Amino acid sequence: MFLNVMRKEILENLHSYKFAVITLLSVVLVFTSLFVMYRDYLLRLENYEILRPTSKQPVAIVQPAPLSIFVKGLDENMGRSYEVRFGGQIMVGSKQQSVNNLFRLFTTPDLLYVVKTVMALCSILFAFSTITGEKESGTIRLVLSNSLGRTILLVGKWVGGYLSLVLPFCLAVLLGTILVTLSPLVQMSSEDWLRLGLFMLAALFYLAIFFSLGVLVSSICHRSSTSLVICLFTWALLVFMIPNLGNILGRQFVNLPSVQQLEVTRNQIWIKQVFEMLNKLQIEKDSDEAQRNKGFQDLLSKINSENDKLISDYRGRFNNLVTATKNITRISPTASFTFLSTDLAGTGLLEERSLKQAVVQYKDLIWDKPVDSDGNISGDFPAFSYRRSSVSQVMSEGGLGNLAILLLFNILFFTIAYVSFLRYDVR
Amino acid sequence: MLRAIVSKEIHDNLLNLRFSVGFVLCVVITVSCLMILTHDYSQELRDYNLRVLMQEEFLSKYAHTNRMGGMLDPQQPPEVFRPLIIGIPRDADLGSFDDNPLPAIFPPLDLLFVVTVIMSLLAILFSYDAVAGERESGTLKLMASNSLSRAKILLGKWLGGSVSLLIPFVFSILAGVLYIMLQPDIHWDSSSWAAFSLLVLASVLFISLFYLLGLLVSAWSRLATVSILSSIFLWVVLILVIPNLSPYLAAQLYRVPSVNKIERETHSITGIERDDLGRKLSGEVRKKFERQYGQVFNDYLALSKEELLRRAAADPEFKAMIDAYRAENRQAWDEANRVQREKAEKIYNELILRAQRQTTLAKRLSCLSPYADYVYVATDLSGTGLRSLDYFSRVSQEYYGALWPYLEKKSELARKKDPTFNENSFLDVSDRPRFQYIEEPLKDRISGGLLYWGVLLFFNVVLFAAAFVRFIKYDVR
Repeated sequence: MFLNVMRKEILENLHSYKFAVITLLSVVLVFTSLFVMYRDYLLRLENYEILRPTSKQPVAIVQPAPLSIFVKGLDENMGRSYEVRFGGQIMVGSKQQSVNNLFRLFTTPDLLYVVKTVMALCSILFAFSTITGEKESGTIRLVLSNSLGRTILLVGKWVGGYLSLVLPFCLAVLLGTILVTLSPLVQMSSEDWLRLGLFMLAALFYLAIFFSLGVLVSSICHRSSTSLVICLFTWALLVFMIPNLGNILGRQFVNLPSVQQLEVTRNQIWIKQVFEMLNKLQIEKDSDEAQRNKGFQDLLSKINSENDKLISDYRGRFNNLVTATKNITRISPTASFTFLSTDLAGTGLLEERSLKQAVVQYKDLIWDKPVDSDGNISGDFPAFSYRRSSVSQVMSEGGLGNLAILLLFNILFFTIAYVSFLRYDVR
Repeated sequence: MLRAIVSKEIHDNLLNLRFSVGFVLCVVITVSCLMILTHDYSQELRDYNLRVLMQEEFLSKYAHTNRMGGMLDPQQPPEVFRPLIIGIPRDADLGSFDDNPLPAIFPPLDLLFVVTVIMSLLAILFSYDAVAGERESGTLKLMASNSLSRAKILLGKWLGGSVSLLIPFVFSILAGVLYIMLQPDIHWDSSSWAAFSLLVLASVLFISLFYLLGLLVSAWSRLATVSILSSIFLWVVLILVIPNLSPYLAAQLYRVPSVNKIERETHSITGIERDDLGRKLSGEVRKKFERQYGQVFNDYLALSKEELLRRAAADPEFKAMIDAYRAENRQAWDEANRVQREKAEKIYNELILRAQRQTTLAKRLSCLSPYADYVYVATDLSGTGLRSLDYFSRVSQEYYGALWPYLEKKSELARKKDPTFNENSFLDVSDRPRFQYIEEPLKDRISGGLLYWGVLLFFNVVLFAAAFVRFIKYDVR
């Protein structure tokens, strides 16, 4: 009987207008997004090749992650070059997107965005009339007048509806991925495939949450129009409002100086040290070459240690802000899904933090090399090497928690939907 | 009769659940969002005041002309409209090691979200069944059977629907602005109020546009369920797809050379290549003086600093030769600097030109979406968008333009007073011109966004005309 209900649901969906519209939308969007982000990845790869340092350049840079085609996250930020200058100062290179400020005004249309906004909306649109629609047409009364349990009916409808939604989407992603990865420039390791697989698994969990939410609202309401209104606003609340407002709300709880203030302080550190050293040299006019060199080395050490203090203080506070933001925004499954996806793709906040730590360590290794007449450190430098966090690291540092939250939302919404449906008046 | 239809439409909407849900959500979201942003604004204002103070204190102790640029970076205060619209996040792309990555993951929420997502969705929910729904319930047939023109029905529905939509919007924005005005550190002048009124007007145009879109789709559909799905499909394309894809498509259609490549090239031109040219020109000067002065000039090159000072004091001709040589040598290096700077500027300007063209193309592409048009209008009016970035950069340049002559004059005076004064000596700059950020005049902000105002208006007219044509042909049975 379960199979009959499921088959009926799928067939009904296949013949419906909403299936045509939603499938068209998801397929077109998935292909467009993958194509656009693939071209964007090639641009970043080209830039990386230009910026790759020689052994004479004290520069740290990482290659763009192939998975940034699917989940761009912070890859643009992380792909900048970090050049170590005298006194351990770190100069950051420009992003290619800095030439067009419009990138800063709009969101990146990667697969993550397509899933978390458009596909979540499609999911809700698929499910909002699961119960109310059948009630309005009178079929649910007829179905339940037979020896069919409500559990089987609900589960059958859920599975049938969900499969009609995700199958075309998964096919589109699969085809798009094959096309993209056929390019010799996109080199995916076996671990990258595992990450992509986990991302898709999380995406399916995420879409299931919104599907269950649609069923839940539908099993509370008695009219499809009411159900639609509630579903749409809940979607806007969960997808946009909580995650995006949580970002600003987090800032109210953590005392974090602005980046501008940090830059002013950083600038003042070395100007102050240089000024004081020059004054000292003026006083000790008769000092010899060795003393002068020692004075210069002391100056560099002071600049380096003060900068280190500044970075460590700021990074500590910033990590508190990230924790606060994560805790606030996780009320919404969209936030958990975003954190999990970006971390899995190696383009998330976790990776950004590790990369910056690695850059600071690299700086510690080379900052005291001799300084040339232009004020740049010179000599032969070891190559900067950086390994992105492994899947097990990602999962242990919050990934599993995020996955558990997605699962929890699924169970919660489905259970409430089930209980509501058991008490639903089908007349 | 028109009035009757308008009041019926408003009455119907007010009694509907979607109005109650929309009203509550709109008020809660807008007010909570503006409250948080207001608090954030106060924090930013404190941060700005602290930055200015830090610069003041630092300059009073460590000012010296050699590194003055780094000490006097103009600081921009948060815009007065920041409690309403964030626009481009200021701390996300400063080219600093510590750029804030959070806005790239979750773009901040502001009034733009309320208007472009909540209000536009509400507009579609209000209008999707305006025609198809009434046909299904049979009331459209009854209405059309009376002596009532279809134009009046449609106009009445549009007016009634728009007024019902504006009730939650205006109420929430007024509540939010009232909260903002109660803050002691926020003061809006007449220009700010005028900009705010225009912002509300642009929002009304945007909301009305989506109401008309729903109306058009409704007049195109026989069933309300088909109408809502088609409307939401269009909504997704217009709000979520086109604007976000535009910059990426523009980047593919019109390529800009690698910024890093250009930076390296110009760095090499003004660095190594400049030194090579400078040495070459300086060598020519040296040869010229060797030819002209022979052994005397060679003596000058061989003498130590102390001997040089002694001989220059004793021999005026020798001193004149040194002065002439130094002047020509400086000219040679100035020439090398000029030539190489021009070369670098030419390459850099080409990059900027191409970047501007790419941005313009992206803007044109995104114009197809009313969302983008509204965002441009709103961010320009509030001084938080692309235009304000250019404006700040322009006023900063103007400030430097006034500051450098002041510093030169001040250094000249200091040199006259103290012969040992050099570029690393302390310079009292307490009477320097201060950077005062004054927002761009409102008329300039409006004129910059006229195109987008026009597009918003054009969409309204076209959608109304299309809805009218469809409704005239609509089979009401």
